Amino acid sequence: MEEAVKILIDELRVKIIDTLNLEDIVPDDIGEDDQLIGSELGLDSIDVLELVMMIEKDYSVRIDNKELGAKVFASLRALAGYIQETSPGLSN
Amino acid sequence: MTGIRVYITGTGLITPVARGVPETKASIMNGVRGIGPVTLFPVPRDRFLPVGEIHELFETDGLPRTHQLALIAAEEAMADSQDSPDAIVIGGTTGGMALTEEHLKRGDTSRDLFKYHATGSVAEYLAAKLKCKGPVITISTACSSGTAAIKIALEMLREGTAGNVLAGGADSLCRLTYYGFNALQLIDPAGARPLDIARRGMTVSEGAGMLLLEGKDKAPDNAMAEILGAGLSCDAYHPSTPDPEGTGALAAMRAAIKDGGISTSEIDYINLHGTGTIDNDLSEARALNRLFSEDKPLLSSVKGAFGHSLAAAGAIEAVISAMGISDSFVPGNAGCNAPDPELRLNPVIEPIERDIQTVLSNSFGFGGNNASVVIGRPEEERASMSSQGPPHLTIVGCACITGAGKTRMTEKTLSEGRNCKGMLPDREVSKDLSHKTVRRIKRLSRLALSLAIAAHKDSGESDGPNSLFFGTGWGPLSDTYDFLTKLYESEEHFTSPIDFIGSVHNAPAGLIAIQFGATGPNITTTGGDYSFEQSLITASLLTKRRDDLILVVGADESHEILSALFDDSVSGDQTPSDGGGALCLRRTDTPSGLRLFPSFFEYSKDNPSIIVSLIENLGGPAIIKRKYGAIFAGIPGTHRDTGSSQMAQFLAGSGFEGPVIDYRRLTGEFASASAVAAVLAVCFARERKIPEALCGSKSSYLNGKGILIIGLGKFVTAVEVIT
Repeated sequence: MEEAVKILIDELRVKIIDTLNLEDIVPDDIGEDDQLIGSELGLDSIDVLELVMMIEKDYSVRIDNKELGAKVFASLRALAGYIQETSPGLSN
Repeated sequence: MTGIRVYITGTGLITPVARGVPETKASIMNGVRGIGPVTLFPVPRDRFLPVGEIHELFETDGLPRTHQLALIAAEEAMADSQDSPDAIVIGGTTGGMALTEEHLKRGDTSRDLFKYHATGSVAEYLAAKLKCKGPVITISTACSSGTAAIKIALEMLREGTAGNVLAGGADSLCRLTYYGFNALQLIDPAGARPLDIARRGMTVSEGAGMLLLEGKDKAPDNAMAEILGAGLSCDAYHPSTPDPEGTGALAAMRAAIKDGGISTSEIDYINLHGTGTIDNDLSEARALNRLFSEDKPLLSSVKGAFGHSLAAAGAIEAVISAMGISDSFVPGNAGCNAPDPELRLNPVIEPIERDIQTVLSNSFGFGGNNASVVIGRPEEERASMSSQGPPHLTIVGCACITGAGKTRMTEKTLSEGRNCKGMLPDREVSKDLSHKTVRRIKRLSRLALSLAIAAHKDSGESDGPNSLFFGTGWGPLSDTYDFLTKLYESEEHFTSPIDFIGSVHNAPAGLIAIQFGATGPNITTTGGDYSFEQSLITASLLTKRRDDLILVVGADESHEILSALFDDSVSGDQTPSDGGGALCLRRTDTPSGLRLFPSFFEYSKDNPSIIVSLIENLGGPAIIKRKYGAIFAGIPGTHRDTGSSQMAQFLAGSGFEGPVIDYRRLTGEFASASAVAAVLAVCFARERKIPEALCGSKSSYLNGKGILIIGLGKFVTAVEVIT
């Protein structure tokens, strides 16, 4: 895996836990390919919207509809990939 | 059974479409849409979304928009009436929020600037203007508030405790709802297109709708329409998303139809909630497809033209429905070009002239709150649907939280002669709640949920409560403050959808419903220091079913910045205090054990005989002395002088000589301190004795007598705990 994506994934793990107050979860509990929503993490559509705000604020990436959200929040890898592709601060 | 039927004899409207009832009809028939750019506050270009804004309001001397809108509609509704209304029941969610936001943004700290902040201050303002003695009740069940307010007024009139009631709803645009619904991605950038295949959300708007309702045994000449019935339910499914199958919506509609004594086939037109969000329209459609097995009546949503004015919407749409009956028309479903086939609904797109007799109007909101009302033509021969339920509210469980701790610690602290002021730390409040439950919720919801669970546990009842009532003076302050802080810090770009969902006054009651799977009525009331008393009155009006298990919760949180700005009583006490109380009640036919009775609620303003009226209402001096062994007096700090003199007048007038416990000196200052007092009254009545430390030189034994809880100050209230 590209080093930059790996770093981004690690960063997102921490941010997700912080943003959603997931006190009983440590970063390594969220696998790169784990389903983020509706899984053991106990996240739902409202958590997705909270993460949407965080991602727009921290990476200037806007996810403004449900269909895109479902795709982007499929897994940590999908999320990092989308941010990597679209964030003005991270683009090559 | 009384023969009382309830008629609409006055209506008032102000919306983005028109000001005035006849003008609104003309606008509806001309297809006017009131949706356009927001000008009320500056919005960053990339956050721009259309709204339904009313442009003709004037800058006034510190009076918020909601209050102005409410008064305009109320004056129109009352224009032909010589009398003041006996009671006012108003739905509201934002109150003075639009102005509060401005002041908080500027960092203003003068408390006077926030005097109209409270959601309940709108109804109180109307009561002062219209010289209404009360009860004055504010319903805050998010977007179903306006319709829920009509249901409560209907029951007051059926019961005969009021002859005429002003009911309605009012809300103004503000940043909280504009950015909140935006953060939830529930706004259509093209303006609301209810039922359309391309719909993407709603349009937040503002307005007020008011109805003067009169209880009579036959239709008065000026009756425009009759409120036949109304029904309430709760999804108990999710804090902000409707149950996708529409089960709660269906239950509310069925309850309204049954309450109205009509059959489904009699409905000529359905005024949909129809917000234009993907989920709402789908859920409502599924409910309708389950309700009507064959042909559906005419139906439409007016929110493509009016936008969604939250608590006002249900009241505005009730007025439109009544107008449709009296003036023979059906409004069109503006914004819908191609109905979504998945909905299997065939809306009336353009307004049509049509004779309609009976209308069902729906309102659904956050917290899974559902309300439906059935309105009919008044000259129809119908039986009154008034019904008396089992007369007693028997107390089966209770719990409180104070600065001293939970129920037992509070009792122990008081019996040792110490006060229980202060704030119980968050981790103690939510000690018995799972992390999953509390992850997204802040202090008020934690307090309320913890209280509800403890009161139910104390009851030992195996079934869960069906009906929930929650009173809060100020609502979720932490969530509101955090939402606005984040918004301002990011120059109005970012905020928290979780805080928005948590900021609505009825968020705690919605969570309690989910906890217990409580699908019955779910009502949040708010009115400063008298909010818990409002919830008791509402509980008494809305629970008629035998053996219905009921939870009534009162709670407020102390917030380090907002509490002192909003609540004058708080700013006068050195110790920040909060907490609340919960009672678990059961409707019973026979008196057994402890019972509760909310017996008095009047507004002190322009009401010099209020204490005389209280004494009379309680049965006079002899009965008062015979019935009560102690009085709990609630005097909010800011009303110390008025309250003390009211109490002195009560003691002189009633001749009561037993112990009087000035409980705010013990609980500290917070709006729902009376909920703590009610719980303590139950605890002491169970023990048949008041702790000696609280009685001074007076006898601490109750000798089979009850306890009277009196609220004093701006309002005077009485709640009896009797054996």
